[in-house]
Amino acid sequence: MNFLENKAIQIAIKNIKDKTRHWQYLVFSLGFAVMFTLMFYFFLGRDEFQYGFPGMIIYTTAAGTTSAAISFAVDKTSGMLERLDTMPTGRKNLFLGALLSETFMISLQILIMFLLGYAVLQVPYKGIFELIIGFFIAVLFGISSVGIGIIISGIAKTPEIANAIALFYYMPILFLSGSLWPFESPIVFFTPPFWAKQIFLQITVVGDGLLDPLYNSSLIGTTAQPIAIPIWGGLLIVVAFTLAFIVIGIIIFQKKTKF
Amino acid sequence: MSIIREQIAIETKNLKKQFKEVKAVDGVSLKIKKGELFSILGPNGAGKTTLVRMLTTVLTPTAGDANVNGHSILTGKNEIVKKIGVCPQVITIYEVLRAEENVEFVAAMHGMPRKEAKEKTKKLLEDFGIAGRKDWSKRFSGGMQRRLNLVMSLIFDSEILFLDEPTAGLDPQARRLVWDFIRDLKNKDITIILMTHDMVEADSLSDRVAIIDHGKIIAEGTPSELKEKYGSDTVLELSFLEQEDLEVVKTNIQNLPFVVNSNEIRKKERQTLLISFQGGLKNLVKLLQQGLIENIDEVENMKFRQNSLEDVFLNLTGRRLRD
Repeated sequence: MNFLENKAIQIAIKNIKDKTRHWQYLVFSLGFAVMFTLMFYFFLGRDEFQYGFPGMIIYTTAAGTTSAAISFAVDKTSGMLERLDTMPTGRKNLFLGALLSETFMISLQILIMFLLGYAVLQVPYKGIFELIIGFFIAVLFGISSVGIGIIISGIAKTPEIANAIALFYYMPILFLSGSLWPFESPIVFFTPPFWAKQIFLQITVVGDGLLDPLYNSSLIGTTAQPIAIPIWGGLLIVVAFTLAFIVIGIIIFQKKTKF
Repeated sequence: MSIIREQIAIETKNLKKQFKEVKAVDGVSLKIKKGELFSILGPNGAGKTTLVRMLTTVLTPTAGDANVNGHSILTGKNEIVKKIGVCPQVITIYEVLRAEENVEFVAAMHGMPRKEAKEKTKKLLEDFGIAGRKDWSKRFSGGMQRRLNLVMSLIFDSEILFLDEPTAGLDPQARRLVWDFIRDLKNKDITIILMTHDMVEADSLSDRVAIIDHGKIIAEGTPSELKEKYGSDTVLELSFLEQEDLEVVKTNIQNLPFVVNSNEIRKKERQTLLISFQGGLKNLVKLLQQGLIENIDEVENMKFRQNSLEDVFLNLTGRRLRD
């Protein structure tokens, strides 16, 4: 069997076709990244925009939550999930395929934001190497968002409810994590976007290495204080969040779709 | 002397499924032979789809077990799904994929090599009149989507094929096309389980039929066995505008020895009396003379026909299949 005959790859290809052939989806996922970037650029002004850009990237990838939640909820309610269950597909391939396709779309989103932010709007960055690391951190965070999306799709009875729950989750998280506006509170430590944004910011803008300490907010050099966890520790926390969300998502989805 | 033992494709043992207070399937025990076309006939909500969902391992039974192709539905899911094809009642296609993409996707899920999948898809889409459509399947007519739904279950050479209302909503021409295809499959020794509430479909295609009502199998046999056992050879349909006219006829015929039974149904705003009787044309004359002589002017419509599976169901339950 060649690579393209792999079931997970086939599911991923089908998902990507499904997403890219819906122009509304394209506007939402890719256009959202562009709109978000430009909106903040014009409303905040150049200086503040540069300051908040890493948080915007992290926040935009959280759209993966909505995308995955709706995608799984549609399969659940349309009967397609049940049809796939009568074939030797295996839920493992279904989840893997979904993760691959969502990761592809998230990567595309981040690339667009990178091009717009760093190439067009001249947001400062430390170097290409740091940007590449930043890219992978953003993708990793995007995968954790997909995990949350799977959790939501397991609970939601319809795609519309899945969309509403996803919004209900990530709107407050936007503010509580201090991703866009600095929020110096211990609450931020419980929100996944904080860790991803802070690592991204310190690596791509400040130029910190893995052993440098993480700060409790974006306001490095003013009110932000270093915390006891180094950047590599923060990275482990992002990985742990990602794995936990995916595992919990799969467990809930499996439980809720077993009749 | 060699002993030929019929091989069993599916055997259910006291299979039950309960959703809260509702007993959707209530103690179904069946044996379906390999290569047989077995229809499960029943009205909407009788438990047909729940039964097929259990046999295809989607639903876990509340009690009982079933063997599908030699594997228990409780423990052998992975083995069962390798050998079955399922055409669900609800049209389940990816709307933004083209017809061939939908079918090839299912082929890929069955692990079919791409080249073989492409060739077989092309042939099947041609057979079902969907070839050449390059637009997304959401733009297909309802009938075309229904045919695509069926083709997706045929791409893989399954040993057991479950068809849940495969012709629902199809025009007569497309229905005949599907029936012809099902007959061809029968010749290929595939076991086919057909869920339907269309008695003509069940009558013309099936080797054996089980009639299901309120989750229970109430009769089982070949179509002719069922018609013989649970009915008569002939049916006279009489329609009246007024209920009292029907009652008069009903009273007049009740003591006639060749009348098996009579059932009332409402058909096109008319009260209709279905009289099942033995003896065909010979007794029809007697029936008309003794039962209708006073009321012949009140009869709005009269139909004399052979007994059908619909009559079997009516005789067994007192209801029509479509009630």
